Amino acid sequence: MSQPPFANEPILELRRAPVRDSLIEALSDLDARLPLRVPVLIGDSPGADSGLDSSDPGTPSRAVAQAGSATESDAAAAVEAAERGRRTWASTPAGERAEVLRGAAQRLRERRLELAALQVRECAKPWGEADADVCEAIDYLEYYARAGIELERGRELLQVPGERNTMRYAPRGVAAVISPWNFPLAIPTGMTAAALAAGNTVVLKPAEQSPGSALMLVEALHGAGVPPDALNLLPGFGDAGAALVRDPRVNVIAFTGSSAVGLEILRAAAETPDGQDHVKRVLAEMGGKNCVIVDSDADLDEVVPGVMHSAFTYAGQKCSAAARVLVHEAVHDALLERLTGAIEAIIVGQAEDFSTEVPPVIEREARDRVEGYTRTAREQGRLVGQPADVPADGWFCSPRLAWELPDDSPVVREEIFGPLLAVSRVGSVEEACDVVDSLPFALTGGLFSRSPEMVEYVTRRTPVGNLYVNRGITGAMVARQPFGGNKRSGIGSKAGGPDYLLEFAEPRVVTENTMRHGLVVE
Amino acid sequence: MADQAPPAADLEPEVQRVGRSLAAAFPSGARHPIRNLDTKAMELATEDAQLRSALFRLVDVTPATRSLDDLSGHLRSYLSEVDDRPLPVDTALRMANTRAGRRALGIAAAAGVRHMAHRFIVGETPAAALGTIRAQWKSGVATSLDLLGEATVTQAEADQYAARCRDALETVSADAPHWPSRPELERDSVGPLPRVNVSVKVTALTPLMRPEAPEVGRDDAARRLRPLLRLARDLDAHLHVDMESLDTLEATTELFFELLDEEEFREGPSAGLVLQAYLRESPGQLDRVLDWAGSTQRTPPLVIRLVKGAYWDHEIVEARQHGWRPPVFEAKADCDRNFELLAGRLVEARPAVRMAIGSHNLRSVAYAIASSRAAGAEDRDLELQVLRGLGDELAHALAAHGMRVRSYCPVGDLMAGMAYLVRRLLENTSNESFLQSWREGAELEELLAAP
Repeated sequence: MSQPPFANEPILELRRAPVRDSLIEALSDLDARLPLRVPVLIGDSPGADSGLDSSDPGTPSRAVAQAGSATESDAAAAVEAAERGRRTWASTPAGERAEVLRGAAQRLRERRLELAALQVRECAKPWGEADADVCEAIDYLEYYARAGIELERGRELLQVPGERNTMRYAPRGVAAVISPWNFPLAIPTGMTAAALAAGNTVVLKPAEQSPGSALMLVEALHGAGVPPDALNLLPGFGDAGAALVRDPRVNVIAFTGSSAVGLEILRAAAETPDGQDHVKRVLAEMGGKNCVIVDSDADLDEVVPGVMHSAFTYAGQKCSAAARVLVHEAVHDALLERLTGAIEAIIVGQAEDFSTEVPPVIEREARDRVEGYTRTAREQGRLVGQPADVPADGWFCSPRLAWELPDDSPVVREEIFGPLLAVSRVGSVEEACDVVDSLPFALTGGLFSRSPEMVEYVTRRTPVGNLYVNRGITGAMVARQPFGGNKRSGIGSKAGGPDYLLEFAEPRVVTENTMRHGLVVE
Repeated sequence: MADQAPPAADLEPEVQRVGRSLAAAFPSGARHPIRNLDTKAMELATEDAQLRSALFRLVDVTPATRSLDDLSGHLRSYLSEVDDRPLPVDTALRMANTRAGRRALGIAAAAGVRHMAHRFIVGETPAAALGTIRAQWKSGVATSLDLLGEATVTQAEADQYAARCRDALETVSADAPHWPSRPELERDSVGPLPRVNVSVKVTALTPLMRPEAPEVGRDDAARRLRPLLRLARDLDAHLHVDMESLDTLEATTELFFELLDEEEFREGPSAGLVLQAYLRESPGQLDRVLDWAGSTQRTPPLVIRLVKGAYWDHEIVEARQHGWRPPVFEAKADCDRNFELLAGRLVEARPAVRMAIGSHNLRSVAYAIASSRAAGAEDRDLELQVLRGLGDELAHALAAHGMRVRSYCPVGDLMAGMAYLVRRLLENTSNESFLQSWREGAELEELLAAP
């Protein structure tokens, strides 16, 4: 079955007023249906649909979804269903699985306005970001559908007379997918679609802050033909996820989230209790402390918007977001002056306003955490923010810029995941690279330089998974910027790239003797 | 496309006649202007895409380099990426191997870039530009000043830009009364035309321009544009609002209509907007502008400057990266046809609006002149605009024909002017460029052919 070549789903042209109007209408339609009911879904049977509520971070009194809170026994039952379903799904030809995934992509496409509106409400994701998230989800389905077909073909091996060598990839079995709220549709879709495309069955445990988007994904996949047993949904809290990770019948764990939880999963998954006949494979995308290096010859007209957008869009709540700017001393003062002016021009507001760049952060704990780092920054260095007060209702944090911080300040060492950007002066790009190397993380990084030699130097030297040169450092696109970190930022292959499906498959090599009675009988 | 142009067949002989007559009035040597180092560099650049890219990167980085050594280091890196190096380039690369050579190369490169900049930018400040403005006026060419600037990312930068616009209006207005009388530049059949003319960019008047929320940038820019309009009114100067990329078309258009509809601007100043013919949606945009011009209570007629549009590459790349249909015509001939169609509609729309044609394409210019004459209008009812440094010869040919000409004159320092300079260089070395084709010796017949 041949597929048309992959192309990224076009984002909406928000500069057109009628497009914006259609989104406002989708939001009001959605509001009329809130709260959504999100049951635990195990095989054919919906389970509990209460115990977990998600709310609008901009108006915490507004309930967005009322979801079930999966228990440990739900987790066990979900894995059992996935076990039951694995043989059928694994033996479905990759071409057919691809058709199902592409069918799900089409279903998401048809509901894209509603899906974006849901993110605006459930995660306070501004429209442009919410729409891009929906497009990325569609891209993953389309991309991995094709990759699954490619995987089924296996690899070419060296052949000599008298033997036939084949290398094929078999599904690993049951995949536990544990996803975050900051890309509430794209990330669960990516991990789930990859597992399914490679022939695994899935138990999906979405973040407790965003069960609604996860339900929409599961509906699209089931609707397109994924058998009920092959995809189970466990809305719930951390204990449901922990039970999944411990379950000896789980073969692969695909996780995106905080470093603390990721490392915990890696430790738990390393256990091989009696009766577990395999070692679990873990993919973990974790934190970052992403630095943008600014060389002395950089074009500050491009640096300022690039840095501001990377640091503050969606209130800095992206794993790829810029947390630090390392500026060559020759342009440090000029850039700092422009950044401090630019921070006043950032628009803080509700996610549903098209002008908003910094919406509220996801929840109270997140706001308190960011405010804690802000206090530290004020005590240890210099700090500017917006003079205007942020809205009273909702978990708002004022965007802030800190500088003259000591090298060991937690503000420049730890992941904050909020709208607080630290600027440091460096004597050279080489020194900036030393700073990057000293951090445990290596997810994304940026370089603004107009010297081809400097670009080559940083390219060779920096350990980050994704380096962006002379542009912002967020917004990786499927097939264009396969995404994932190195060092303590993550393990496993890059999402949206050519190797990703290999993580969900085990290679099997067969060598057949084709000699019979001294004759080759191929 | 919405409206009908005048029947092309009838116009064609006059278009050809005007075009040939203008071509004959170009100063001799204009077709092969190998006079300067920068022209030579541009010639080399046109022939080789890699060299072209090396030249642009050098021009782009020059103001940000810290020393001559730093500058020649950048030059060496850019040139070493060129596969097929002509002799002068190879010599330059070898020079960069020694310290003294690097210094000499740095000096030469810096001088070359400055020279190029001076060709397109008339002065660092309005006061410094006065000499050129006056000289142009005396030779029969009016001007519009454009304040070049770095990108506006802070409120303070927006204030500075507004202050520079104010300075331009005041400085030129103080000088203008001393200029000699040039009746062909000062009056059309509707009435008097201001001597002082300044073009402003809305994105420079606010750091809050957001394509997906045009009202935010519009309202913030209004705080700074309103005092400029008042000043222009009080000084009897013309204020022209430039058009930039499609991202800001909505905000710019709305801002213009809203402010000028305010009671205090009913009698003045003279003001203008730009229509970009490369936009597929430009016929609809013209409908909208003409509707407004028809409904507004203002007395000074709206000036509409028709141009092809200067953000073609940006629009194409942005659309391709996002998976959108490009908002601009991709084939040059489609754009040229649309330009003529819109020019024809503007001719018909007078005298409710004044029309200005901003093009260096002899065919487009000749078409506008012929079409205006065919409608029975006087030549002074058509303004022809050129860019300083690119269209100077055309300006003089037009002036020699008694046409009303205005030269668009950028003012600012090299740092601020870099983006502008790179765009002009791109335009000047593009193989699609009219000027370039002519320089390369294309036949006049071919250049004047209907698109």
